[in-house]
Amino acid sequence: MISLIFFLAIGALLFLSLFLLARRKPRAEGSSGALVEARQALTALQDGLLPAALVRRVFAKEDWEYVRSEAPKAVRELFVDERRSLAILWLTQVRAQIRSLGRFHRGTARHYANLNPRLELRLAVSFAALTGACSVLQVLVYVGGPYVAPRMVGAVAGALQGACKISEESLAFLNAARLGTLAGATRS
Amino acid sequence: MNISHWIVPGFGMLLELVLVLRGVRERLYRKYYLFFSYVISVMLSSVVLIAVLAMTSGHELYHQWYWPLQFVTLVTGYGILLEILNHVLAPYPGAERFARAMGVTAFGAIFCFALIAPRIMPHGSPGTVIEFERDLRCVQAIFICGLFAVISYYAIPIGKNMKGMVLGYGLYIVTSLMSLAVRSYAGTTFDSVWNVVQPLSFDVSLVVWLVALWSYCPNPVPGHNIHLEEDYEALVTRTKSVMSTIRTYLGKARA
Repeated sequence: MISLIFFLAIGALLFLSLFLLARRKPRAEGSSGALVEARQALTALQDGLLPAALVRRVFAKEDWEYVRSEAPKAVRELFVDERRSLAILWLTQVRAQIRSLGRFHRGTARHYANLNPRLELRLAVSFAALTGACSVLQVLVYVGGPYVAPRMVGAVAGALQGACKISEESLAFLNAARLGTLAGATRS
Repeated sequence: MNISHWIVPGFGMLLELVLVLRGVRERLYRKYYLFFSYVISVMLSSVVLIAVLAMTSGHELYHQWYWPLQFVTLVTGYGILLEILNHVLAPYPGAERFARAMGVTAFGAIFCFALIAPRIMPHGSPGTVIEFERDLRCVQAIFICGLFAVISYYAIPIGKNMKGMVLGYGLYIVTSLMSLAVRSYAGTTFDSVWNVVQPLSFDVSLVVWLVALWSYCPNPVPGHNIHLEEDYEALVTRTKSVMSTIRTYLGKARA
């Protein structure tokens, strides 16, 4: 019975794959804009969205404590609503930039013969975990307010900074390779 | 004789013939020789089986011929998977490497599960021919699922010919795998359903192939040689667009 369920499940999985393949629309090829877009995503993350001071400020509890002790109820509610919106917006931006970096990585990696399948799997899991964490945080912030999971915010920001470092090395390598091609072409 | 013994396979043979003729006329056999080898092997085995069935009154001789020929077509069916791999992933060496690693892992896992486990398990019994075919179909199913995962993950474009080839063969494998699994579990009581479902699903696959492979439609080739100049041009275009927008706003502000 277990083997029957196993084979039927594999069949169902294949059927689902075929269904999705039949519905699949042709997607845009990796264009010259991809590198620029990836560089912009990286800059946006490193300079605009991930600096520790900014993350601390968006999720700072001290501000809330000050407002709670000094301001009336209406102001307190307004403050929490605005901080919630700000935190959700920050998370949306971060998730969009992660996706952009992921798209760029996949679009580039598929051409490399020396691709390491194990490393690719690990990267895929990392990208999925980060975007998943952003989604979970968005729900938590929406439901429980901007100060619901400070540790998780810190962990996500830390993991993202690590991912940015890897992406930066990857982009630097690509730029170097292309500069080499350009230099070769100029010499010839 | 019932419908499953004559009409469904007869229609299938007609479709196979049309597919081969289209392949010759459009010179598709040169591009997809592994696929057409498979179709021709299926067509020849169908001819042999129908001849055996017509010449003998009993089904014993038919069954003696059925399984070896089925095994031959199953092996040539792996050629279709290679064909898909070669055409879809050849321009993407990285993705191809990933797909091959996944295919080898899937084959190894099923091989261990199907062939080695029954021999080392204390109460294991050697598998039947049906179970063996089911296991090999399972490898093909996992391979196609893996291929789809790689194609989706790396956003690889797939042309009409290749899409049809994957869909047609995939549909046949889904039906085969599920019907073989149920046949293996339920025994000969499922034979009446199996005898209709198996050839009928193959006819559906042939229709899909005929539509998809009516004419040659090459798989999209990637333009991955991005040069620094092009990146620069893209950046300049974007900057110019932003500058133009700013100028427009400044003009409005002055006015």
